Amino acid sequence: MILTSEPATPARPARPAVDPRRGVPAWLLFAALAGAVVALSLVNLAQGTSGIGAGDLRQLLTGDADQLTRDVFWGSRLPRLVAGFVVGAAVGVSGALLQSVTRNPLVSPDTLAVNAGSWFAVGLVSVFGWSFPVLATGAVAFLGGLASAGLVLLLSGGTSGPARLVLAGSALALALGSLTRLLIILFEEETRTLFFWGSGSLVQVNLDAPVRVGVVVIVVLGIAFALSRSLDVLSLGPDAAASLGLHVGRVRLVTLLVAVLLSSLALTVAGPMGFIGLCAPVLARQCRRFTAGAHRHRMMLPLAGVIGVTVVLAADVVVRLVPTEEFGTGIPTGVATTIVGAIALVAVARGITHAESFSAAPTAHPRRISADRRTVVALIVLATLLLGSLLLGLLAGDGWLLTGDLVNWATGQAGPYVHFTMDERVPRLLAATLAGGALALAGCGTQAVCRNPLAEPGLLGVTAGAGVGAVSTIALIDSPELWQVNVGAVVGALLTFSLVYAASWRGGLDSIRMILVGVGVAAGAEALIAALIILTSPWDIQFAMTWLSGSTYGRTLEQVWPVAILLVIGLPLMLRHRGDLDVMALDDDVPRVLGVRLERVRTVVLVLAALLTATSAAAVGIVAFVGLVAPHAARALVGGRHVRAIPVAVLLGMVLVGLADTLGRSVIAPEQVPAGVVTALVGAPYFVWLLWRTRG
Amino acid sequence: MKTTRALSLALLPVTLLAVACGTSEPAADDNDKPAEGQEITLTGSDDTAVTLPAPATDVVALEWMQVESLVALGVDPVGVADVDGYNTWVPAAPIDADTPDVGSRNEPSPQSIARLSPDLVIADASSPESVIKKLRDQEIPVLVLSTSDASDQLGTMREAFTSIATAVGKAEEGEQVLADLDEEIADAAQELEEDGMKGAKFAIADGWQDGGNIAVRLFAKGSLMSDLAEAVGMVNAWPGKGDPEWGLQTTDPEGLTQLPADVQFLYNSPDGEDDVFTGALTDNPIWQGLGFVKAGDVHRLSTGVWTFGAPLSAEAFLDVLTDLYDK
Repeated sequence: MILTSEPATPARPARPAVDPRRGVPAWLLFAALAGAVVALSLVNLAQGTSGIGAGDLRQLLTGDADQLTRDVFWGSRLPRLVAGFVVGAAVGVSGALLQSVTRNPLVSPDTLAVNAGSWFAVGLVSVFGWSFPVLATGAVAFLGGLASAGLVLLLSGGTSGPARLVLAGSALALALGSLTRLLIILFEEETRTLFFWGSGSLVQVNLDAPVRVGVVVIVVLGIAFALSRSLDVLSLGPDAAASLGLHVGRVRLVTLLVAVLLSSLALTVAGPMGFIGLCAPVLARQCRRFTAGAHRHRMMLPLAGVIGVTVVLAADVVVRLVPTEEFGTGIPTGVATTIVGAIALVAVARGITHAESFSAAPTAHPRRISADRRTVVALIVLATLLLGSLLLGLLAGDGWLLTGDLVNWATGQAGPYVHFTMDERVPRLLAATLAGGALALAGCGTQAVCRNPLAEPGLLGVTAGAGVGAVSTIALIDSPELWQVNVGAVVGALLTFSLVYAASWRGGLDSIRMILVGVGVAAGAEALIAALIILTSPWDIQFAMTWLSGSTYGRTLEQVWPVAILLVIGLPLMLRHRGDLDVMALDDDVPRVLGVRLERVRTVVLVLAALLTATSAAAVGIVAFVGLVAPHAARALVGGRHVRAIPVAVLLGMVLVGLADTLGRSVIAPEQVPAGVVTALVGAPYFVWLLWRTRG
Repeated sequence: MKTTRALSLALLPVTLLAVACGTSEPAADDNDKPAEGQEITLTGSDDTAVTLPAPATDVVALEWMQVESLVALGVDPVGVADVDGYNTWVPAAPIDADTPDVGSRNEPSPQSIARLSPDLVIADASSPESVIKKLRDQEIPVLVLSTSDASDQLGTMREAFTSIATAVGKAEEGEQVLADLDEEIADAAQELEEDGMKGAKFAIADGWQDGGNIAVRLFAKGSLMSDLAEAVGMVNAWPGKGDPEWGLQTTDPEGLTQLPADVQFLYNSPDGEDDVFTGALTDNPIWQGLGFVKAGDVHRLSTGVWTFGAPLSAEAFLDVLTDLYDK
């Protein structure tokens, strides 16, 4: 692993220390930050849904304030401010600890799936109708967060490399997010509040809650501070640290526990404040440039905490300035911090010029049977399975049909019910099947070009971008036509893709950098979706969620055409570049030597992938993991040569999403599970297994 | 061996083909019976006219307000979206728990609806258009009714109810139900006046907590419950503006200071004992200091009020209201 970005080098020997006489003294740095925190606190205290302003609050100091002012101060403004302090400090330090222990500047409670795990655990508990006091909810969140962080670390082989860990965490977060969405769809009333809570807000029920959690946070922060020395030693590298007598394993475990504890405590106070845990430590590490000793943990940890508080308060102040309906509460603060944090993530990712490569995607093991013969067999079996899944898709659903019905239908003799049912099922089945093929094809392209078995349109932010496009169309146009939503999705996907491309282009397109930028953009885009839904139709959660979770509900044939056309154009186009893709999957130098016009092929393939993703998102909404799983399974079956892998992957994708949709339509009929949730339930275990296999 | 196994996998679909043979309905023949009776033509909120050859008897309703309307008219719907949810939330007008479920309100299943061969499907203006279109293509009449509009909630409700009554050939009974509601409103207004509540200020809210977070949702002017309470002579004291459809607005505890001290604070908590107004909020100094809290004017609407309902829920709400202040 070679990272040349500024904050990405905790593993290297410390840079030459800043001359203490010329740099900014530590006390001045802290004083400046404290000044910012005080200023933001004062502004924050003066904001609120009642008429109480700065003037009234000033009277508190002189004792002239009336009862109302005192009540508002103690019952609303102060609890909110305390919550901001508790959350900012806890998450800032949590992120710093996680980054130190993994020696990875891209890690945070978000990218380690801690928040997603906590959210899922709390959702699961609320489905059972259990409600707990604040600290007990914290315990549930802690266990959920710890389990998912542990899983991510275990599966990605501990500290094997920054990108791998973040990709693993982001993918697990995606899967857990899908599961939580399933809970919300199935148990709408029980989980009614979960959707809002999932966005993070500082509004407190009373002063008790944040103070009680705050006391615990202070104690845990003390423990974190006590780890400073060990973490300094650990930053020399595990081997050096061990030779200096440090119990590396024990320090790592304790640090991880402390970090997860801090983030789950913050979560119970305010819900997830997205990406504070990423940008606060990143900014804190920047301080070493001008302040001597800022790289030491006893200074860096407090810095991360104070910066965390600053960012949370700034975000809260800003969202309160956004005009909303009078007395309304407006955009949740967590949405704003996620957008700020996503920008930080993109900025850090941009700094990466050379990242670790992944162990080559596992391919078919040498066997007695030749690759060609395997391909033929695979194609025959998959084609038959495809026919089978199409047949099953027509027969199953809300009420079974029988094959005789299909015969009647095909010969035009079917009665109205069969006719009607087929009219309903055929577009849905085609939408799911074709979208599956398109996503698999897109995944083949991105995985080869990014030289990364984990690269898929979802992780590149393209899918979330399509979601932003679709939801803003729904928000802007009063009851839009379906084609308008589709056009919105395509525009959103292309814009997001251009953004990712532009932001990761630095005289060339480094594969890992691009995916990390994509992860950041995806997070920002998801926050935007949440903000749009909350601002425009806060009571219509289920519609938005279902659409975003990938559903074929209500599809008509006209919506199937775009994805069908793109698949017909895209498949031969991708196959034409099969040779280029084969060499590009190796490294950057071989194709150059062989005269492949690297950037041109890359652009063609990635634009094609973006279009395929957008049209499939328009057809079935956001379906995760297919672009990841299908190409990978194809390589495992018939080897890495694209001439073989592409057709097999496309067929696999078709069967997978087609079956997922049929399953979603049938199991709880007449209600439905969105296809995207089903693919996430299939894709997540596969992905887990994939990470385990390639942990190197 | 591998190949054999793989190929046998491919045989699965063939087995499926064999198992699932037969037909679920006989091949089509033309034995459509022309229905008798007086023809009814109604225009829905989507400006689409629906013509029924006779009053509808087999009716599927996709929105709970419409289900409740049917129950009030003595018509048992043949299909309802989310039957369990309906019976939980609209206890003022329960339906048979065995009524066929046609899916969720947001995503009703067209097949489930078609299987019931209804004479009429009543959909909400927010129901998915694709489903309405599919049903219409199948020549199943779909009456689309707007059931919620914050500019005139009570009027919208009356209008939708009247359309439903006409569609099922019970226009007279419908008028009677609405007349009963009017009478109930007049009685309630009278009763409240006698109890000294005429012109009294009120606010209606619900609320929830997650971790340390809290949200309070107010039924602003333009919500159905607000329209009703205003119809009986009380005055909604919440100054904020609700959303254009339901008339709802979310705020925080501090926002409640916008309410005057002499307001009657009514809250809806279908879950029963476990609510923020008797729980977490009682530790909050703002809540403690609110005039109406000190005066003991915080009242829970007892269960049975679907806040987005039809005449029966409206009457249930008025009953609760008059009972509260009965002296």
